[in-house]
Amino acid sequence: MYGFAGQMVRINLKTKEITKSPLPEDLAKEWLGARGMVAKILYDEVPRDADPLGPENKLIVAPGVLTGTFTAAGSKCGFGAISPATNGHADASVGGHLGPEIKFAGYDLIIFDDISPEPVYLFIENEKIELRSAKDTWGKGSIDCERQLKDELGEDFEIATIGPAGENGIVFSCITHDFGRNAGRCGVGAVMGSKKVKAIAVKGTKTFPIYDLKSHTEQTEAIIQRTKPHPNMAPWQKYGTALFVGWSNDQGAFPAKNFQSSYYEDWPKIDGEKLVEECVVTDKACFGCWMNCGKYSKAKTKHGDIFIEGPEYETIALIGGSCAMTSIHDVTYANYLCDNLGVDTISGGSVVAFAMECFEKGIITKDDLEGRELNWGSIDDFEYLLTKIAYKEGIGKVLAKGTKGAAEELGKDSIKFAMQQKGLESSGYESRWAPSMLLSFMTSDIGAHHNRSWSITVDLELGRDEIKEKAPVVVYLQHIRPLYDMISICRLFWGELDINPEEYVESLNYVTGWNTTEEGLMRISEKVWNLTRAHYIQRNGGPGRNHDIPPARYYEEEIPNGPAKGKKLTIDQVNMMLDEYYAARGWDKKGNPSAEILQDLGLDHVVEDLKKIGQLGESLPNGIPKTRGYKLKPRAM
Amino acid sequence: MVIYLKSGGKLREKLKPNIDDYTRKVDVEPGLSLKEILKRLEIPNQYIAFAYVDGRFKRLDYYPEEGQVITLQPPVSGG
Repeated sequence: MYGFAGQMVRINLKTKEITKSPLPEDLAKEWLGARGMVAKILYDEVPRDADPLGPENKLIVAPGVLTGTFTAAGSKCGFGAISPATNGHADASVGGHLGPEIKFAGYDLIIFDDISPEPVYLFIENEKIELRSAKDTWGKGSIDCERQLKDELGEDFEIATIGPAGENGIVFSCITHDFGRNAGRCGVGAVMGSKKVKAIAVKGTKTFPIYDLKSHTEQTEAIIQRTKPHPNMAPWQKYGTALFVGWSNDQGAFPAKNFQSSYYEDWPKIDGEKLVEECVVTDKACFGCWMNCGKYSKAKTKHGDIFIEGPEYETIALIGGSCAMTSIHDVTYANYLCDNLGVDTISGGSVVAFAMECFEKGIITKDDLEGRELNWGSIDDFEYLLTKIAYKEGIGKVLAKGTKGAAEELGKDSIKFAMQQKGLESSGYESRWAPSMLLSFMTSDIGAHHNRSWSITVDLELGRDEIKEKAPVVVYLQHIRPLYDMISICRLFWGELDINPEEYVESLNYVTGWNTTEEGLMRISEKVWNLTRAHYIQRNGGPGRNHDIPPARYYEEEIPNGPAKGKKLTIDQVNMMLDEYYAARGWDKKGNPSAEILQDLGLDHVVEDLKKIGQLGESLPNGIPKTRGYKLKPRAM
Repeated sequence: MVIYLKSGGKLREKLKPNIDDYTRKVDVEPGLSLKEILKRLEIPNQYIAFAYVDGRFKRLDYYPEEGQVITLQPPVSGG
């Protein structure tokens, strides 16, 4: 089979049985890889009542079809599991070099089952696969563990690790690779920790077959030559994503003090220009990328200098703006703390900001904090809280449940400002004046994550106060953006350097020998979206609409200052957007997929599964839309 | 005063390049800020995250100089 290593491996951590088998061709063709294969396997194999941190959950490592090829930035590696944060399907991806290395070792899928009786790490060197003791690294930070394993095994091993947070089951723990790149979201690190797997170390020296290597390389060479002079290239190379802080703030979309506002007056102290001036040491690139948008940085701290990759825009938004920091060195150090403790910077920043607001409102007091106070912008308070969280000590036991879980325990209406959806903390876009962005967060299958649909430009195009006619564009974006996760390439070349979806289709066909089309791929992406939705409803109950209502802050509080001063949505507007969205998807008014849409996508068995629990959507009066979602022109990203 | 504005991505459609795929040559009176120039060209400034001139970040209150090449960077979703 072209484009794939052709082999999957299942590892039973309890019995230590390691089973290799050929990768089924229909799994590859019908689900593509990474997010797609993860969705299929989790749906088919994990019992609906399985504890996300128990033995029945699975941890799936899944590079995709274009990973390790010459396609632009074919670097991604997917991780999947039932999320301890959302109790639903989760997939997260990381760039760097891990995914290609796994394919070069000969594997397209690694599936961990059950729980190891003692800490282990997975060692792979081509055909050789072993579970090795991790007693020397268990308890260590992610960055420290990666350094130790590289020292022991060699620099040419690619490493993925978890930190103490993952070991201790913090629901927003990440998996870290390449000294600061993360499969960050949904707590996949906690699932890895629950299985007592500290790390994956892989070295591969093999290759895998490409159907038309000549055309594949010629196409990529042409794209390289075309994109090198692209106007976006130089700014991206110099600043990475961090330079968009100012624009986000100008638009009234930058989260400040736990999303109390969308405007942060101290933004120039923490933006990309300040980062480059004071912290950046060198640029970093993932496999097969000539953009080098990663920034390896040094921060001055009271403990001495530290080094870490980042911070990127999202980290600056959730740690810098949302925790009200005023030093780029503090933000960079907080980034390091998150990475080494093994905490997602988006959720980690959001949980600390939530705690700071709880302290401000008297919901958390000095009695909960060993007599200390929490102050906005304090790196010492950030470090104190994050450490308590990672080790589940004191107030950290409560906050380790994420903003939703913590708010449910703390009470006093704190759920109104727990800035999450379905249990996953929101990415860094305050959306009271960006309705389509809010709709994207509300309806995202894994919770409030920008990589499912980033639609502020839709709000710019169609009007910031307008709520109508945005839902179909959100649906389109929810199909195309995750598609890049399924074929496992970095979407930045699409968004920023004008590589067209058609070119990725062409590349995919050169690699695989398939004769697929953009329409066909989008249909697979839509199928996956409907499957993850049905899975979420089966695990968490229905109707689906119950899970799509945003935190009350969005419809009860006006933005107090800045460009969006006075803006908020009403609950009626929120529901109107959902009505339009469900109709655009072929779901009923309760937000449940109908039999017609599921059958249209080849998910007949899901119809029966939803019917059994009484959550199958009613048939729509006029049938399902012929096409679901459409592209906005000019192109939204 | 002649300046050269460059952009890619969706911003290119609004810029309407006239030199090459990415570049528009513009003749403007001296003393105008970039924001004022964009307004005259009917390019809404919310589509521009920042300008990039001689390897440096610039905000839209920047005053361009004769012959400068100014890259207009559209907003993107950060990682």
